[in-house]
Amino acid sequence: MTGFDQAELKLLTDLIQERFGLMFNGIRMEILESRLRPRLRELRLTTLRDYYHYLRFHPDREAEFARLPAMVTNNETYFFRETHQFDLLIHHVIPERRALLRDRPLRLLSAGCSSGEEPYSLSIALHNAGLPLAGMSWEIDACDLNPERIARAHEALYAESSLRACDAEARRRYFTQEAGGFRLKQKYREKVRCFPSNLLAPNGALGWAIYDAILCRNLLIYFSEDAFAAAIGLFARSLAPGGYLFLGHSESLLDRKTSFAPAMLGGAVVYRKLEAA
Amino acid sequence: MSTPAERLAALDAAARGPEREGAILLALEDEALTVRDRAIRLAARYVEPAVLGALVADGEHAVRRNAGLSALERQGPYAVPHLTVMLGASDPELVMFALQSLARIGYPPAGRSILPLLHHADPNVAQSAIEAVGQLRTREAVPALLKLVEGELWLQLAAINALGAIGAAEAVTPLLALVPDSVLAEPAVQALRTIAAPESLEPLLRVLPAVRERALRDPLLLAVAVVIDFHPDPVPLLARAGPELAASAEFVAYLAQALAALPAAGDMDGEGDSLQRAAATLAVAAGIEALEPDLLARLATDADAIWLEGVFHRFPDALAAHRPRLLGHPDPDVRGGVLRAARFEEHELPELYEHLEDTHSRVRAAACYAMGRLELDSTAPLLVERLRRGDRAEQAAAAQALGRLSADALTDLESCLRADADETVLMLALEVLSTCPVPAFEPRVLQLAEDRRPAVRRAGLRAAARVTGARADVLLLRALADRDQATQVDALELMVARGGEKSVAVLVAMLGTSDSLRFHVIRALGQCRAQAGATRLRDLLPQCAPHEQLQIVAALIRIAPPWIGTFLRERLGDSEVEMRRMAAQGLADLAEEHELPVLLPLAEDADWNIRNEVARGLGRLARPVTRQVLLALARDVEPVVAATARAALERLQPEAIRIPA
Ligand SMILES: C[S@@+](CC[C@H](N)C(=O)[O-])C[C@H]1O[C@@H](n2cnc3c(N)ncnc32)[C@H](O)[C@@H]1O
Repeated sequence: MTGFDQAELKLLTDLIQERFGLMFNGIRMEILESRLRPRLRELRLTTLRDYYHYLRFHPDREAEFARLPAMVTNNETYFFRETHQFDLLIHHVIPERRALLRDRPLRLLSAGCSSGEEPYSLSIALHNAGLPLAGMSWEIDACDLNPERIARAHEALYAESSLRACDAEARRRYFTQEAGGFRLKQKYREKVRCFPSNLLAPNGALGWAIYDAILCRNLLIYFSEDAFAAAIGLFARSLAPGGYLFLGHSESLLDRKTSFAPAMLGGAVVYRKLEAA
Repeated sequence: MSTPAERLAALDAAARGPEREGAILLALEDEALTVRDRAIRLAARYVEPAVLGALVADGEHAVRRNAGLSALERQGPYAVPHLTVMLGASDPELVMFALQSLARIGYPPAGRSILPLLHHADPNVAQSAIEAVGQLRTREAVPALLKLVEGELWLQLAAINALGAIGAAEAVTPLLALVPDSVLAEPAVQALRTIAAPESLEPLLRVLPAVRERALRDPLLLAVAVVIDFHPDPVPLLARAGPELAASAEFVAYLAQALAALPAAGDMDGEGDSLQRAAATLAVAAGIEALEPDLLARLATDADAIWLEGVFHRFPDALAAHRPRLLGHPDPDVRGGVLRAARFEEHELPELYEHLEDTHSRVRAAACYAMGRLELDSTAPLLVERLRRGDRAEQAAAAQALGRLSADALTDLESCLRADADETVLMLALEVLSTCPVPAFEPRVLQLAEDRRPAVRRAGLRAAARVTGARADVLLLRALADRDQATQVDALELMVARGGEKSVAVLVAMLGTSDSLRFHVIRALGQCRAQAGATRLRDLLPQCAPHEQLQIVAALIRIAPPWIGTFLRERLGDSEVEMRRMAAQGLADLAEEHELPVLLPLAEDADWNIRNEVARGLGRLARPVTRQVLLALARDVEPVVAATARAALERLQPEAIRIPA
């Protein structure tokens, strides 16, 4: 048989959604398939239904559940993705919050950071910002569900595909080339803290009401309604009053009742936490 | 004011009561999307097309109209007769809606009723009709579409797309006339690509180098590649076109660029990837020598580029002509690539031997690979030598090559099986013996199957499984209790592959132990369809954990003993829904016509998966008497069920669409 059977796929994705709140409508089935096939072979199972039964009833099911999200989520990311949001941060958000930042560092969170390309790009952008940041210090927190991604972020060694938006100049300035790929220079790794955390089962690693801005890009598209709402609630709690939330270009809070108000910054929609929330 | 969640709950409750239809119709106008969505699903299932049609006809209320349409569409073939009636409505907007819904439902017999609308006076209606016959692939529409290609711009565009979707070879000449100099060149090229007619190859090859804008050139290149793929004999044409293509530096640079194109991020349809492949196909097939080194180096270094080997094998001539030059290329990866991609003959062996001495191990490995493809026993001694002394890549390539030789040629392997042999060498030699058993080595293989080192032991077991006789049976049996779980399961699989009554007897006996291996034993019995294990499996059922129970039922479904029907019917009464689902699956796979009375009531089951199995089973049986049940399932609230039921309906003899009076 080629391809997974639709009914079997529904059994599995419903189960995953029930467990993790992740939604699979948006994921290409071939991706799901190519990720799960090798695992089925390892467990010596044949069909997706076998695997579903395994997850429901097998004595080792909890261990399997623990590794499942990492297998099926999309990790796709690269340096300098959607950088106009970094510009908004530097030229609008930071000046607006300048007074607050006299006695404490600017605090940012990259939620769903995958292997670190996003928080590190942010760090590079802050390094390059010059004037707007003069005399200011900053901290970047970055978390991801998948511990393997976080380990890569710590290693900071990247392959060509992560650098697809970098020209020769950027490669030279920010990376050193090694046998295994491109390693991000140390100075851009400082002040970036990457740690594992599931946004849907927060482990307390995220700060409470402390971040000036949160970037959560290209993962809420995979979330179900409920999971989406839970994540937004978490961001509302983690942001300092008046803090900003940046979403990916196909994600939006419009049409939803949340503790955020949409704001137009430099021609783009961002979300600002309501003062009272 | 109630919340959406409350209204949703109220709707679900009403859907089970006598006021169902009224509640559903009202909810179709609900302001909350979630409520409307549910109402649409329910309407598709419980509201007749005529009622929904009336909602749609009432143009006043846009939300309700859209919801009604969505529900009609979800009803699938069931709604087709009514939608066909709507085609005669006087309101052009309504006609358009009906056309779009028919197209999306995708029930091909509906296409014929659309033909009269292709020349409708209202251009919007005509356009929707053209798009619909395209989506439904209505061949009868081709003559009319060809006329429309000459007509007004918008309809021209729609007609071109439709001809492409239908795959109408008659359209090739008029479409080619639009390339490259009309505003419709790009859609015409897309259509030519989907039609993929052999006669379009030559003209397309002629325009490709002349067009400079990438917006048209990329689609042209993709079209050329697809036409080449479907062409019964493209080689002479390409050989003729080759020199001219190769002579244009501009064109070669373009192909090089296309080859280097990384698939863009979020490249959902893989178009970037296809462009690369298209460029490679053309470069190789037309023998553009300037591009060959790059392609060969990529083949040698990038594991994802294995498809390139297929391209070179399909079009071997050009490479054969350039081979001597390329084999002397300064870049070792190019040399390695040629060795993998080119075809060699027996008398060319000395040339391959030369490359066994290359300074780069990747080239040497590629030479082993090329030798393997010749399957000549005379190469055995050299390959064995590589297996023993080469580096990793060479060793693996040599082992693979040796596996393709005859058993008589493998006597030299003896040196690799000695006690003092390196572990890698030992394992690779065993791998060779598991593809090509050599009787002389059997005693040694059996010995190694009990080696201390788990990895060697497993390789030994794989080779031992090819040895006939009781000793190998005993070994495998013993390995079932190996301290290493992976080895246990390996042994189980090897036993199943070996087959034979004896192994079934062993497996049945193993059902008595209740350790983690039993799960696999149950599956194995299913895999060898062991009739002899059936009753034992059945009797074991009550004593097992749930994960084993489901596997038992699955195994019994594969074995299909004579009493399986009764057995499955009993399982339908189980309290665990997964068990009931499994039973329904079994019935869907195995039930015969006289068991329809068991299957049919399940079409009303509360569980979607069970309804889905019914639809699947009815599709397998393909009995016209089940049409009504399938039509109801085709508008199931659960889209998966509806899709299965539609597929099943297609397996029944198509019935003329009956237009309600
Ligand atoms: C497509 S990547 C996006 C990476 C980066 N934000 C960007 O835009 O390039 C999505 C990441 O979200 C992570 N993720 C998914 N669900 C998550 C959850 N519930 N909690 C934390 N991270 C999650 C995945 O592991 C994955 O690394």
